[in-house]
Amino acid sequence: MAGLSARPGSAGTQPSARSGGIWSPLARGQYAALVWMQSRIFVNSLRTVRGSFELGARVLTGFIFFAMAFGPAVGMGFAAWEGVAHSRRLAVAILLWVVCALWQFFSTLAPALAGQNPDLSYLLRFPVSFGSWIALYLAHGVAAPSTLIGLLWVLGIGIGVIAARPDLWLATAATLAIFALFNLLLSRAILAWVERWMAQRRTREIITAILLFLGLGAQAFNPAFHHYGNNLPGTLAHHESARISPRVWDVQAVFPPGLAANAIALPMQHRQSGALSLGGLALYTLTIGGLLALRLQSESRGENLSEAPRRLAPGKTQGRAILDLAGPVGAVFEKDLHYLLRSGPMLYALAAPLVLVFLFGSAFRIGNTSALRSAYALPLGIVWAFTGLTRLVNNSLGAEGPGIGFYYLSPTPLRAVILGKNALYGLLFGIEAILISGLVLFRFGIPAASVTAATAAWVLFAVPANFALGNTLSIAMPYRMSMTRMRNEPGALGNSLLSTLIQAATLGVGALVFIPCNAFGHPWLATPVLLALAAASAFAYLRVLANVDRMMQSHGESLLLEIAKTGPTG
Amino acid sequence: MDAPAIATRDLTRRFGQFTAVDNLTFSVAQGQFFGFLGPNGAGKSTTIRMLTGLLAPTSGQVQLLGFDFAAHPIEIKRQIGVVPEGLALFGRLTASEYLRFVGRMYGLDRETTNRRTGELLDFMNLADEPKKLATDFSHGMQKKLALAAAVIHGPRVLFLDEPFEGVDAIAAGTLKAMLQRMTERGATIFLTSHVLEIVERLCSHVAIIHQGRLVANGSLDELRTGVALAGDQASEKLTLEEIFLRVVGGAGPEAKAEAVPELSWLA
Repeated sequence: MAGLSARPGSAGTQPSARSGGIWSPLARGQYAALVWMQSRIFVNSLRTVRGSFELGARVLTGFIFFAMAFGPAVGMGFAAWEGVAHSRRLAVAILLWVVCALWQFFSTLAPALAGQNPDLSYLLRFPVSFGSWIALYLAHGVAAPSTLIGLLWVLGIGIGVIAARPDLWLATAATLAIFALFNLLLSRAILAWVERWMAQRRTREIITAILLFLGLGAQAFNPAFHHYGNNLPGTLAHHESARISPRVWDVQAVFPPGLAANAIALPMQHRQSGALSLGGLALYTLTIGGLLALRLQSESRGENLSEAPRRLAPGKTQGRAILDLAGPVGAVFEKDLHYLLRSGPMLYALAAPLVLVFLFGSAFRIGNTSALRSAYALPLGIVWAFTGLTRLVNNSLGAEGPGIGFYYLSPTPLRAVILGKNALYGLLFGIEAILISGLVLFRFGIPAASVTAATAAWVLFAVPANFALGNTLSIAMPYRMSMTRMRNEPGALGNSLLSTLIQAATLGVGALVFIPCNAFGHPWLATPVLLALAAASAFAYLRVLANVDRMMQSHGESLLLEIAKTGPTG
Repeated sequence: MDAPAIATRDLTRRFGQFTAVDNLTFSVAQGQFFGFLGPNGAGKSTTIRMLTGLLAPTSGQVQLLGFDFAAHPIEIKRQIGVVPEGLALFGRLTASEYLRFVGRMYGLDRETTNRRTGELLDFMNLADEPKKLATDFSHGMQKKLALAAAVIHGPRVLFLDEPFEGVDAIAAGTLKAMLQRMTERGATIFLTSHVLEIVERLCSHVAIIHQGRLVANGSLDELRTGVALAGDQASEKLTLEEIFLRVVGGAGPEAKAEAVPELSWLA
């Protein structure tokens, strides 16, 4: 036992060393250790080509997100300056409502912008206090693109307000800081609670029912949107007149964006201090923070969200065949269908496009552009339908875990595995496309026959093209994917970036064919052109499928390493 | 008198309608090398996860070193070390980086962490490849690294879930000697393993869990006596394997083999 001389409990591990504080010496040491650990993982990841690509993807997406966020931030700053300079409190309120709505929308329904909903369970074995747990959770939230975009916009508004009325700097800074904290906490609380509800069947069913009722309820907004929507610019410009009723103003003023707007607008109009509104906003923030803490407390105590089946009576076999497909292709199809039906986050991702079309479809019927939007509603809806499947198609092996080793051990050709997966995704896409088409027809009416035919031809082109490229990406750039947690995994960014490019490319091909044909008065010409492209993409798909075994063998080591690995991260 | 190192009362964990651990009550004295046995799916790993704070119990109480776990999780976690079922390594760190990270997470100062990291890497024969990432280690090397991480802070209670699986015989011998030395110095070791010979050789006390319930608990001699009295057999001749088979079902290996239905399609 040479060298190992320490006695149990020695050197800084005595119970008397209290360690509960969020800023205690132990907590500070732990933060430093975590930052150091992440930096080492980052540096070590650069040893591989894939790691370098991931870094490049990160820089590129960071630049894209910044470019996307900076323009609106400038616009919001200008609008805030304009609104405050002319004492239009509604302008400030609308800006804050927009920021709040988009911040939450990006955080919950746009996975690329939501960032990681961190899985901190790897910290459970360490003496990490609950306060530190919350701080680490929120630190991940601050680093999310949706938060950075929201903060940039809030900063833009703040600069606009203070530029117009420098005397309001203190009220504006305090209000917007609390407003930003509220949005951060709300977005993280929604993610944390939705993940909790989606993890178990009963709560999943309840939340689905609630979403359905919300969707139906949202239909009531349609007439209101039409009423105000046709004159929206005028409404904004003359809000103090009778166009927005005082009741609407009063109602919105009790919600956080309205309270924040009041906290800035009341001193702006020299009415009162706005402290009451600021207090209300702080109360909302504390309440949401409490709800988040409630959720995180369960996580920090080692909650397990798995759904274990009840114990079966002796002699009974578990499970029943869903479709009872024969052969290995059917077996993979059925196994992945079981996975999917037990995965709340995946079902959520599949349902999100439908929910969005259902909820917000009416928003695209504003004003004189209705006819144009109606013409393209079907193809856009179909494209949108595919987004729910993107993660699965482009990382089809990511959820296999250690089970991926079985594919290599079994006598089944690996292309049968991929074919089984593609068959399932094809079926899911078909169902999703039919449902979205139904919604689109219900909302926008029947599109022109030429558009319908071209859309069908485009689907025949896009599906095999996406599958061919998705299969290649799944093998060459896989990442471990959780089916039970709503979060982006380490290593997912490069894959996600390429997935987006594939989506954009297939959509771009469709647009490049259809729009010129339509512009030159020959919309029917698009269909045969797209059918020819469909034949080419089907050929490409078959070629990829024929090469799957060779590709999976040559990438075997990295696939097993990446997908089958266990443990907390990387 | 010292408080028990581990004490549970009515510890229960349910997953939906499935009860994985059912009203478990037992205690482990400080300095004991304690074996926790059970067939696959009996609830061993679930119990370890609850004892180490990785999983919240549905009901019941866990006390470690006299502290209630629910009330003092941080103080307790500073006193325990765990080699969990999945090892929980950070694959993209080198062994040295990983140990330094773990040491700092337990609040060790930098100097102590670095010194112990070097000592542990030498002791575990992991110092030869300083640039190699943990993910590229063999399973046995990963196991040794996980064990090194579990002891770097000098825990008073060590939980080991199948610690010798995949570890070569030479390393296993060294590790066993290290663990026995730890118990001599007052540490408590809670070990689960399916290799009953190892448990029999190392552990002074054994508990057996079956279908989530505790079905036997005591020193090896006590268990031998209990089973011998029930089966009318000389106690000194019973091995742990025989005790285990009698306690969890069947009268012995022969009876167990006879009970297995014939699989006539096997060659």
